[in-house]
Amino acid sequence: MFSYFSRIWAARYFWVHLALADLRSRWRRSFFGVTWSIIQPLGLTLLLTLVFSRMFNTDIVTYAPYILSGIIVWEYISANTIGGALSFVQADAYIKQCNHPLAIYTLRNVLGSVIVLMLASVSLYGWVAVVLPQNIGWCWLATLTIYPILMMIAWPVSTLLAYISTRFRDVPHALGLVMQALWFVSPVYFEAKMFKNGGLHGLVDYNPIYHILQLIRAPLLQGEWPSMENYLYSIGTAIVLALIAILVGYKSERKVIFYL
Amino acid sequence: MKKNRILLKDVNLHYASVAYKERSTKSLMAGAFKRKSAHGRIADIHALKNISAEINSGERVGLLGHNGAGKSTFLKTVAGLYPVSSGMLQVSGQVRSLFDLSLGFEPDATGRENILYRGLLLGLSPRFMREKEDEIVEFAGLGEFIDYPMKTYSAGMQVRLAFAISTMVGGDILLLDEVIGAGDANFMIKAKERINSLIERAEILVLASHDLGSLKSICNRGLVFHHGHLVFDGRCTDAIEEYKKINGLG
Repeated sequence: MFSYFSRIWAARYFWVHLALADLRSRWRRSFFGVTWSIIQPLGLTLLLTLVFSRMFNTDIVTYAPYILSGIIVWEYISANTIGGALSFVQADAYIKQCNHPLAIYTLRNVLGSVIVLMLASVSLYGWVAVVLPQNIGWCWLATLTIYPILMMIAWPVSTLLAYISTRFRDVPHALGLVMQALWFVSPVYFEAKMFKNGGLHGLVDYNPIYHILQLIRAPLLQGEWPSMENYLYSIGTAIVLALIAILVGYKSERKVIFYL
Repeated sequence: MKKNRILLKDVNLHYASVAYKERSTKSLMAGAFKRKSAHGRIADIHALKNISAEINSGERVGLLGHNGAGKSTFLKTVAGLYPVSSGMLQVSGQVRSLFDLSLGFEPDATGRENILYRGLLLGLSPRFMREKEDEIVEFAGLGEFIDYPMKTYSAGMQVRLAFAISTMVGGDILLLDEVIGAGDANFMIKAKERINSLIERAEILVLASHDLGSLKSICNRGLVFHHGHLVFDGRCTDAIEEYKKINGLG
């Protein structure tokens, strides 16, 4: 166990390089380059806000950052589930030649997409600072915790999915559907109170996605610290998933090469 | 200092047949209801059969055998890529392997940048690679092309650069799979010198090749594989004779 993580640490230059190379190739030869990570979610937010604020009769000023925070965090989640599931298949050339721990190939995704998330959230901080200046306070420091916690959840999830998808190649296709379903039952774009008004408390209270989103939403949108419950649910999810991933990895890590 | 050594004892290796039989959940479920027909059944591939060998410091070992005899599987098992099904495998020493030479190259980055990237792939630190960079550039001898993107390189140039990098960073055990023979005559001489100097530093070389001439000049010991069995282990010249005899090549 310990030696596995020390091997990951020993290969750190390699996976950091892979993550940065992914970002470089993503923005290569485009005029706006890095700024696309900021423009894209902003544009989508504008569109959605125009429609949803009419449909649901909500205040456009507070609803827009709500949607924006949903978009960028969901983007991260789907990059690490749908994208993460393919990590081993994509890295097959490396896996077949170098005996690095497999978890570095999902870590590459986790790291690359968190950089995108951080860039994208710059616009969220800016937007909220302008339209809701009364919320600025020490509690904004809590928003910084969402990045390590999201990574701690995304790493085991994408590693697990990568193991399963290498064996069963239908999984990446099915995942798109599953993630769409998850999106519908989670307060990503729709407000939590809509679920509660509809008598669907469970979808909010027991939904880790809601609690993770609260880590950034509570400070920015309500000007208050995230609750203890938010942290317990988020970190609890990370620990449970990590244990499963370690167990599955222990059993199947060495066999992956046969399925590539 | 720990002695560099490769030790195999009764090593067996199977490629699990499920890997190419049941790729999807559908076929897995369908298989549960279908009667198994004896005809056309795909069994596990028994790629290495009871291999025992010991390779010590300073030995240059050539692997011979027909296609599919188990040479590459042997190399990849020693590199720690494939898990052995049974038996014992002990490798002491840092392993460097050259299997797929275009691997780890970014086509849009320059040759110089790729030296760094490939070094990172091999688990080296950026600082170490910067120190070695000039030496590698010099050995690869690509002239001004080193500052051009990799995608402008010919296959031979890529191999030269890969060879220069992978043999520059000292490993205790060097595993080569059919890579010699790329590059022009000039480079071949340099490559042979480089391999010879690696051996002089008391490191292990294991080389799989069909080029009997270079095997004869480089290796002092030969292992002959035939359908997964290790059928001969001895002096390289004898191994080449044995290889020719088994495969009916005059």
